[in-house]
Amino acid sequence: MTEALAKSSPMQLGKLKTQHIMLLVIAALLPGISVATWFFGWGLIINIGLACCFAISCEALALYVQKKPIKAALNDNSAIVTAFLFAITIPPGSTWWLVLFGIAFAILIAKHAYGGLGQNPFNPAMCGYLFLLLTFPLQMTSWHIPIEQGTLSPIGWEGFKQSILAVFPFLFASAESMVTTIDGMTMATPLIVSKMAGTNALLEANEAGLALFLRSSETGWELMNIAYMLGGLSLLAFGIIRWHIPLSIIVTVAVVSTLFYSPNSSAVFGTPYLHLFGSATMVGAFFIATDPVSAATTTKGRIFYGIIIGLSIYGIRVWGSYLDSIAIAVLFGNFCAPIFDYYCRPRVYGHTKRSLFARVTGSKP
Amino acid sequence: MSTDSAFKLNDIKLRPHRIFGGIKPPAFKSSSMRSRIMPSPIPERLILSLRQHQGSAALPLVNVGDMVLKYQLIAAADQESALNLHAPTSGKIVAIESALIPSQLQQSEMCIHLQPDNKDNAIALNEISDYRAKTNADLVALVKQAGICGLGGAGYPTANKLKASIDIEAELLIINAAECEPYITADEALLREFAKEVVSGAEILQKICLASRCIIAIEKNKKEAVSALAAALNNSSISLVQLPAKYPAGGEKQIVQGVTGLEVPSGGYPPDIGVLVQNVGTAYAVHQAIVEGKPCISRITTLTGAPLQTPKNFSVLIGTPVSFLFEVCGIEEEQLTGAIVGGSIMGVELADLQAPVVKTTNCLIAKSTQEFPEAGKEQACIRCGFCADVCPAKLLPQQLYAYARSCNRDELESHGLFDCIECGACAYVCPSNIPLVQYYRASKQSFAKQLKQEEKSLYWQSRFQTHQYRLKKNQEDKLSQRKTKKNQAEV
Ligand code: SF4
Ligand code: SF4
Repeated sequence: MTEALAKSSPMQLGKLKTQHIMLLVIAALLPGISVATWFFGWGLIINIGLACCFAISCEALALYVQKKPIKAALNDNSAIVTAFLFAITIPPGSTWWLVLFGIAFAILIAKHAYGGLGQNPFNPAMCGYLFLLLTFPLQMTSWHIPIEQGTLSPIGWEGFKQSILAVFPFLFASAESMVTTIDGMTMATPLIVSKMAGTNALLEANEAGLALFLRSSETGWELMNIAYMLGGLSLLAFGIIRWHIPLSIIVTVAVVSTLFYSPNSSAVFGTPYLHLFGSATMVGAFFIATDPVSAATTTKGRIFYGIIIGLSIYGIRVWGSYLDSIAIAVLFGNFCAPIFDYYCRPRVYGHTKRSLFARVTGSKP
Repeated sequence: MSTDSAFKLNDIKLRPHRIFGGIKPPAFKSSSMRSRIMPSPIPERLILSLRQHQGSAALPLVNVGDMVLKYQLIAAADQESALNLHAPTSGKIVAIESALIPSQLQQSEMCIHLQPDNKDNAIALNEISDYRAKTNADLVALVKQAGICGLGGAGYPTANKLKASIDIEAELLIINAAECEPYITADEALLREFAKEVVSGAEILQKICLASRCIIAIEKNKKEAVSALAAALNNSSISLVQLPAKYPAGGEKQIVQGVTGLEVPSGGYPPDIGVLVQNVGTAYAVHQAIVEGKPCISRITTLTGAPLQTPKNFSVLIGTPVSFLFEVCGIEEEQLTGAIVGGSIMGVELADLQAPVVKTTNCLIAKSTQEFPEAGKEQACIRCGFCADVCPAKLLPQQLYAYARSCNRDELESHGLFDCIECGACAYVCPSNIPLVQYYRASKQSFAKQLKQEEKSLYWQSRFQTHQYRLKKNQEDKLSQRKTKKNQAEV
């Protein structure tokens, strides 16, 4: 830009900056993270911490290699958001190298190889997740939950020790205690249970009148989703995200799962409730799909984007061979976003309306 | 104007309609509204630019050393887009030389420098007791004579605008009092104290442009101005439309939409749909010119900003230097970091405080770091879409930005770059501090350049082709001549 232009309007700017947006997103994740920790133990928190460290280092490395200003770019906090999103989608208590591989792929390849923040067509956190899912499928589908003396004890001291061990197995590699301490429970998500067993675990659990605070893992899922949803709603209230993407995803999933659900047949399809609250749908709808860089950016485009993601979430879950599908669905949405944006441009002030058909075919009105 | 839109316009109920987008920045208006409008004292020197607006310059009628009287014509509009210029007070012409004037381009202009004699001797004024007896052509001539231009924005000569709207038979006259930009209170203060005169001016304008309806559009939150107007409109056919307060509700295209719900066609102007928009300040100037016979020698300008001890609205003589006004308000020098001409969003930085007030100067802000901190570093666009949500033209600023960076001319055009009104709402909300308007301006300018070059190359191309054609023709002629000669020889 030339000097003469550098002084042009506006002279006054709004106060909300990118780094604040990122911090608010993290703040909105906290309720969900707390609930998840309460039910599933310290593994999640440790993973988040680890992911943040790795993410910042990778970001700094990438910036250094490209000779970009490091401090200014780190200040936008976007790497930390990626780290958080990545860490809450992988199983809590994942081993350190799993986190490292995932984050390195997310930041170095999915983000910086495409030109850094704002240029990446795909959600980096989900790229990292998918990379791990493809390369380490076993580790990526089992959840480690600490157990003490036969009962779940996620946040006690014992649980903490177990989580640490799960993440850093080499710490006590020499100690003989290793074998005995790391005997937490490895469990699957309710959705997986439902899919594998053909029974509707969550529904049963609810009908059995399980009190919410028994800390059964099924109710844990439910509460966690509610907490994430509340966090997401607060982002909506603060105007950080708009309603189009979350609403269209949730409505799509709800509608499709209601259409295909029949209580009397085998319950492989799962109840709508299970699809919304028994999996990562809420995190996906409010936090992952709304990652602005890779999402659609026009209003109408966002609705189509949400619908595509909602359909893929359900489709992949029910008919596909992957167990949970947020990552693939969101990446698929990312694929389509530029097309949606291109054809969903709003009618500009003073122009006559052109139908979508006319825009796609390029015919004049 | 197509009959189609005329039919629509007459049927439309004038009430607040939704305007696309918009922002609600903090207003900072109360400090300058605390006191009444004050006539500014006469400075030691008035600097009167021959170009008071974005049009062509006027032709000076005086020479250095001449004594002039207040209201005397000192430069005449010899071209359509020029404005008459009158002496704001009596005194001596001490120089005619170039000086910096406040404008978008920060350029220097030829200026008449007037040294006031502080006697304020005036020539006799031609008051008109009943303007209704005059023909419209006469009234337009009077407006032109008074050197009035649009006092709200770019300063298009009012007489030209009126002439154009007579030609197209405007049906609706909107008097724009929606002063939506932060800091500016000139119109609001004017309405609070001179609502009657404004209404009289509006009636004159309505008579001239033959509009069947006239409304004054104002933002709801200007309570005092609204009540003053309501009182002044008691026996008038003019009505009031109160719009919700948001920026840029007062933009020309936006006010048309806000009042009628219709949109000005792309690339067009409000008269294309039978609407004429005039600013309240202009209505007041028209009242002064026609009823009191006074040409436009002063205007209401807001002086505000934290470094000023008593921010207020001045009735300021055209040509008064900005620094003089700052001193009258009492300035805390150590706070002052510069000055902005216009509001805090559309305004431009003033390079030199000696620059004078021109007819389009509606606001002067004394800058301080506390109110106008350095903008943060430009960061990457995160495609949050905040900008698209606030764009009053319903553009996609984030896409325009991407295309501007890649200089993709076709996409820029098809994404409506030329529908951008440069309101700056997008840049205001952008969390990544991207100076979006700058990118658009730069793209528009490079387009214009490219276009010129294309024209030039086309010109040269055609020259070249004619040249080639001529060469070829010459050769052919020669050949045929030779042939005929040969033939003749053979015969
Ligand atoms: S507001 Fe700024 S960061 Fe957000 S999409 Fe627009 S240009 Fe990009
Ligand atoms: S400056 Fe242009 S693109 Fe930005 S909000 Fe205003 S009209 Fe829209």
